[in-house]
Amino acid sequence: MPLDYAALAVGDTISDRTFPIDTNAVEKYVGAVRDQSGVFDGADSEPIVPPMAVAAFALRGVLEDLGIPNGTLHTGQEMTFSGAVPVGDTLSCQAKVAQNSVRAGFRFIGVGMDVRDRSNRQVMSAKSMIMVPA
Amino acid sequence: MQVGDELTPITRSIDQTDVDAYAEAAGDFNPIHIDEEFAKTTQFGGTIAHGMMVAAMLPELMATEFKRDWATTGKLKIRFRAPVRPGTTVTTHGQVKRVRDTETGTEITCTVGVRDQDGEAAITGDATVTISNDD
Repeated sequence: MPLDYAALAVGDTISDRTFPIDTNAVEKYVGAVRDQSGVFDGADSEPIVPPMAVAAFALRGVLEDLGIPNGTLHTGQEMTFSGAVPVGDTLSCQAKVAQNSVRAGFRFIGVGMDVRDRSNRQVMSAKSMIMVPA
Repeated sequence: MQVGDELTPITRSIDQTDVDAYAEAAGDFNPIHIDEEFAKTTQFGGTIAHGMMVAAMLPELMATEFKRDWATTGKLKIRFRAPVRPGTTVTTHGQVKRVRDTETGTEITCTVGVRDQDGEAAITGDATVTISNDD
Protein backbone atom coordinates (compact mmCIF):
# COMPACT_ATOMS: atom_id res chain seq x y z
CA MET A 1 0.00 0.00 0.00
CA PRO A 2 1.44 3.42 -0.91
CA LEU A 3 2.53 5.68 1.89
CA ASP A 4 0.25 8.49 3.00
CA TYR A 5 2.74 11.31 2.56
CA ALA A 6 0.54 13.78 4.42
CA ALA A 7 0.74 11.58 7.50
CA LEU A 8 4.54 11.53 7.62
CA ALA A 9 5.81 13.36 10.67
CA VAL A 10 9.27 14.71 11.34
CA GLY A 11 11.28 11.94 12.96
CA ASP A 12 9.35 9.06 11.41
CA THR A 13 11.61 6.30 10.14
CA ILE A 14 10.79 5.64 6.50
CA SER A 15 13.61 3.32 5.53
CA ASP A 16 16.05 1.05 7.30
CA ARG A 17 18.10 -1.03 4.92
CA THR A 18 21.37 -2.84 4.59
CA PHE A 19 23.12 -3.07 1.26
CA PRO A 20 26.44 -4.50 0.10
CA ILE A 21 28.63 -2.48 -2.25
CA ASP A 22 30.60 -4.83 -4.41
CA THR A 23 33.13 -4.29 -7.17
CA ASN A 24 30.56 -4.74 -9.89
CA ALA A 25 28.25 -2.07 -8.46
CA VAL A 26 31.12 0.39 -8.08
CA GLU A 27 32.48 -0.23 -11.57
CA LYS A 28 29.01 0.21 -13.01
CA TYR A 29 28.58 3.47 -11.12
CA VAL A 30 31.99 4.89 -12.01
CA GLY A 31 31.40 3.95 -15.64
CA ALA A 32 27.99 5.60 -15.69
CA VAL A 33 29.21 8.90 -14.26
CA ARG A 34 32.53 8.63 -16.14
CA ASP A 35 34.53 9.65 -13.07
CA GLN A 36 38.11 10.23 -14.17
CA SER A 37 39.56 11.46 -10.88
CA GLY A 38 41.42 8.16 -10.47
CA VAL A 39 40.91 8.32 -6.72
CA PHE A 40 38.70 5.29 -6.48
CA ASP A 41 40.47 2.74 -8.63
CA GLY A 42 42.84 1.42 -6.01
CA ALA A 43 45.92 2.16 -8.07
CA ASP A 44 47.69 3.62 -5.03
CA SER A 45 45.91 1.85 -2.17
CA GLU A 46 42.81 -0.11 -1.25
CA PRO A 47 39.96 0.68 -3.67
CA ILE A 48 37.25 2.79 -2.10
CA VAL A 49 33.69 3.57 -3.05
CA PRO A 50 33.10 7.04 -4.53
CA PRO A 51 31.22 8.94 -1.81
CA MET A 52 28.55 9.99 -4.27
CA ALA A 53 27.93 6.32 -5.04
CA VAL A 54 27.27 5.74 -1.35
CA ALA A 55 24.73 8.55 -1.51
CA ALA A 56 23.14 7.21 -4.69
CA PHE A 57 22.83 3.65 -3.37
CA ALA A 58 21.41 4.86 -0.06
CA LEU A 59 18.94 7.10 -1.81
CA ARG A 60 17.78 4.25 -4.02
CA GLY A 61 16.49 2.32 -1.02
CA VAL A 62 14.85 5.37 0.46
CA LEU A 63 13.00 6.19 -2.74
CA GLU A 64 11.87 2.58 -3.07
CA ASP A 65 10.53 2.58 0.48
CA LEU A 66 8.82 5.91 -0.05
CA GLY A 67 7.14 4.51 -3.16
CA ILE A 68 7.45 7.84 -4.90
CA PRO A 69 5.03 8.51 -7.75
CA ASN A 70 6.11 9.17 -11.33
CA GLY A 71 7.22 12.74 -11.83
CA THR A 72 8.79 13.16 -8.40
CA LEU A 73 11.77 15.52 -8.51
CA HIS A 74 14.94 15.65 -6.46
CA THR A 75 15.44 19.33 -5.62
CA GLY A 76 18.30 19.46 -3.15
CA GLN A 77 21.00 17.40 -1.54
CA GLU A 78 23.35 17.83 1.38
CA MET A 79 26.01 15.27 2.24
CA THR A 80 28.79 14.97 4.75
CA PHE A 81 31.29 12.16 4.26
CA SER A 82 33.07 11.01 7.38
CA GLY A 83 34.99 7.98 6.29
CA ALA A 84 36.21 6.14 3.22
CA VAL A 85 34.21 3.03 2.35
CA PRO A 86 36.27 0.12 1.03
CA VAL A 87 34.79 -1.71 -1.92
CA GLY A 88 33.12 -4.85 -0.62
CA ASP A 89 31.79 -3.31 2.57
CA THR A 90 28.17 -3.63 3.62
CA LEU A 91 26.40 -0.44 4.60
CA SER A 92 23.24 0.29 6.49
CA CYS A 93 21.06 3.31 5.92
CA GLN A 94 18.41 4.58 8.26
CA ALA A 95 16.28 7.37 6.85
CA LYS A 96 13.93 9.64 8.76
CA VAL A 97 11.57 12.40 7.79
CA ALA A 98 13.26 15.76 8.35
CA GLN A 99 10.63 17.98 6.76
CA ASN A 100 7.16 17.63 5.27
CA SER A 101 5.36 20.61 3.84
CA VAL A 102 3.11 21.63 0.96
CA ARG A 103 3.78 24.62 -1.24
CA ALA A 104 2.34 25.64 -4.61
CA GLY A 105 0.70 22.30 -5.21
CA PHE A 106 3.74 20.21 -4.39
CA ARG A 107 4.71 18.33 -1.28
CA PHE A 108 8.31 18.85 -0.20
CA ILE A 109 9.69 15.95 1.79
CA GLY A 110 13.08 16.24 3.42
CA VAL A 111 14.72 12.94 4.26
CA GLY A 112 17.67 12.67 6.64
CA MET A 113 19.95 9.68 6.09
CA ASP A 114 22.45 8.10 8.45
CA VAL A 115 24.73 5.65 6.63
CA ARG A 116 27.04 3.36 8.59
CA ASP A 117 29.54 0.66 7.71
CA ARG A 118 29.50 -2.90 9.04
CA SER A 119 31.31 -1.81 12.21
CA ASN A 120 28.60 0.81 12.82
CA ARG A 121 30.91 3.71 12.04
CA GLN A 122 29.06 6.56 10.37
CA VAL A 123 30.38 7.10 6.84
CA MET A 124 27.82 9.59 5.57
CA SER A 125 25.02 11.76 6.80
CA ALA A 126 22.78 13.36 4.25
CA LYS A 127 19.59 15.21 3.64
CA SER A 128 17.62 14.86 0.43
CA MET A 129 14.79 17.12 -0.61
CA ILE A 130 12.23 15.67 -2.96
CA MET A 131 9.19 17.30 -4.51
CA VAL A 132 6.13 15.12 -4.95
CA PRO A 133 2.94 16.22 -6.73
CA ALA A 134 0.54 16.93 -3.83
CA MET B 1 45.30 26.81 -1.96
CA GLN B 2 44.25 30.41 -1.54
CA VAL B 3 40.95 32.22 -1.63
CA GLY B 4 40.07 32.93 -5.23
CA ASP B 5 41.92 29.94 -6.67
CA GLU B 6 39.88 28.13 -9.31
CA LEU B 7 39.44 24.38 -9.64
CA THR B 8 40.08 22.80 -13.02
CA PRO B 9 36.70 22.52 -14.75
CA ILE B 10 35.25 19.30 -16.09
CA THR B 11 33.11 19.34 -19.22
CA ARG B 12 30.84 16.53 -20.26
CA SER B 13 28.18 15.96 -22.89
CA ILE B 14 25.18 14.09 -21.59
CA ASP B 15 23.03 11.96 -23.83
CA GLN B 16 20.19 9.54 -23.21
CA THR B 17 22.59 6.58 -23.23
CA ASP B 18 24.40 8.13 -20.26
CA VAL B 19 21.13 8.68 -18.45
CA ASP B 20 20.03 5.10 -19.08
CA ALA B 21 23.39 3.81 -17.83
CA TYR B 22 23.08 5.87 -14.67
CA ALA B 23 19.54 4.57 -14.09
CA GLU B 24 20.93 1.02 -14.24
CA ALA B 25 23.90 1.79 -12.00
CA ALA B 26 21.95 3.72 -9.37
CA GLY B 27 18.72 1.73 -9.64
CA ASP B 28 16.71 4.88 -10.23
CA PHE B 29 14.17 4.15 -12.93
CA ASN B 30 11.92 7.16 -12.44
CA PRO B 31 10.30 7.48 -15.91
CA ILE B 32 11.01 11.19 -16.00
CA HIS B 33 14.59 10.15 -16.74
CA ILE B 34 14.20 7.20 -19.06
CA ASP B 35 10.72 7.17 -20.62
CA GLU B 36 10.49 9.78 -23.35
CA GLU B 37 6.75 9.31 -23.87
CA PHE B 38 6.02 9.82 -20.18
CA ALA B 39 8.48 12.68 -19.89
CA LYS B 40 6.83 14.51 -22.79
CA THR B 41 3.74 14.87 -20.62
CA THR B 42 5.67 16.68 -17.89
CA GLN B 43 6.66 20.32 -17.62
CA PHE B 44 10.06 19.43 -19.06
CA GLY B 45 8.74 18.20 -22.40
CA GLY B 46 11.13 15.25 -22.43
CA THR B 47 13.49 13.23 -20.31
CA ILE B 48 15.94 14.89 -17.95
CA ALA B 49 19.16 13.57 -16.46
CA HIS B 50 19.15 12.41 -12.86
CA GLY B 51 20.20 15.25 -10.61
CA MET B 52 22.60 12.95 -8.77
CA MET B 53 24.19 11.96 -12.07
CA VAL B 54 25.00 15.54 -13.00
CA ALA B 55 25.92 16.30 -9.40
CA ALA B 56 28.47 13.47 -9.47
CA MET B 57 30.70 15.81 -11.47
CA LEU B 58 31.19 17.92 -8.35
CA PRO B 59 32.73 15.20 -6.19
CA GLU B 60 34.88 14.37 -9.20
CA LEU B 61 35.94 18.03 -9.33
CA MET B 62 36.82 17.93 -5.64
CA ALA B 63 38.43 14.47 -5.73
CA THR B 64 40.62 15.47 -8.65
CA GLU B 65 41.97 18.35 -6.59
CA PHE B 66 41.92 16.94 -3.07
CA LYS B 67 42.21 13.19 -3.66
CA ARG B 68 41.26 10.91 -0.75
CA ASP B 69 40.82 13.78 1.69
CA TRP B 70 37.62 14.43 -0.21
CA ALA B 71 36.36 10.88 0.33
CA THR B 72 36.97 11.02 4.06
CA THR B 73 36.10 14.60 5.01
CA GLY B 74 34.07 16.03 2.14
CA LYS B 75 30.88 17.99 2.62
CA LEU B 76 28.66 18.92 -0.27
CA LYS B 77 25.55 21.07 -0.14
CA ILE B 78 23.82 21.64 -3.46
CA ARG B 79 20.59 22.74 -5.02
CA PHE B 80 19.30 21.53 -8.34
CA ARG B 81 18.46 24.76 -10.17
CA ALA B 82 17.44 23.60 -13.61
CA PRO B 83 16.98 20.26 -15.34
CA VAL B 84 19.61 18.94 -17.73
CA ARG B 85 18.15 17.48 -20.89
CA PRO B 86 19.99 14.82 -22.88
CA GLY B 87 21.98 16.56 -25.59
CA THR B 88 23.30 19.15 -23.16
CA THR B 89 26.95 19.87 -22.53
CA VAL B 90 27.65 20.77 -18.92
CA THR B 91 30.73 22.19 -17.25
CA THR B 92 31.67 22.38 -13.60
CA HIS B 93 33.11 25.41 -11.89
CA GLY B 94 34.73 25.77 -8.51
CA GLN B 95 36.49 28.53 -6.65
CA VAL B 96 38.03 28.61 -3.19
CA LYS B 97 36.04 30.99 -1.02
CA ARG B 98 37.41 30.24 2.47
CA VAL B 99 40.53 28.66 3.96
CA ARG B 100 40.86 28.19 7.69
CA ASP B 101 42.95 26.18 10.09
CA THR B 102 41.17 23.74 12.38
CA GLU B 103 42.32 21.26 15.01
CA THR B 104 42.46 18.47 12.46
CA GLY B 105 43.80 20.31 9.44
CA THR B 106 43.14 23.01 6.91
CA GLU B 107 39.51 23.37 5.97
CA ILE B 108 38.88 24.60 2.44
CA THR B 109 35.45 25.67 1.27
CA CYS B 110 34.73 26.14 -2.42
CA THR B 111 31.79 27.58 -4.27
CA VAL B 112 30.92 24.93 -6.83
CA GLY B 113 28.37 24.37 -9.52
CA VAL B 114 27.44 23.02 -12.91
CA ARG B 115 26.38 25.15 -15.85
CA ASP B 116 25.04 24.23 -19.26
CA GLN B 117 26.52 25.39 -22.56
CA ASP B 118 24.48 28.59 -22.36
CA GLY B 119 25.87 29.40 -18.94
CA GLU B 120 22.64 28.60 -17.13
CA ALA B 121 23.12 27.17 -13.66
CA ALA B 122 21.99 23.56 -13.35
CA ILE B 123 23.43 23.04 -9.88
CA THR B 124 24.85 25.48 -7.34
CA GLY B 125 26.39 24.84 -3.96
CA ASP B 126 29.33 24.67 -1.63
CA ALA B 127 31.89 21.94 -1.07
CA THR B 128 34.18 21.71 1.92
CA VAL B 129 37.19 19.48 2.49
CA THR B 130 39.70 19.23 5.30
CA ILE B 131 43.32 18.58 4.42
CA SER B 132 44.69 16.58 7.30
CA ASN B 133 47.65 17.88 9.29
CA ASP B 134 49.18 14.45 8.70
CA ASP B 135 49.31 14.93 4.90
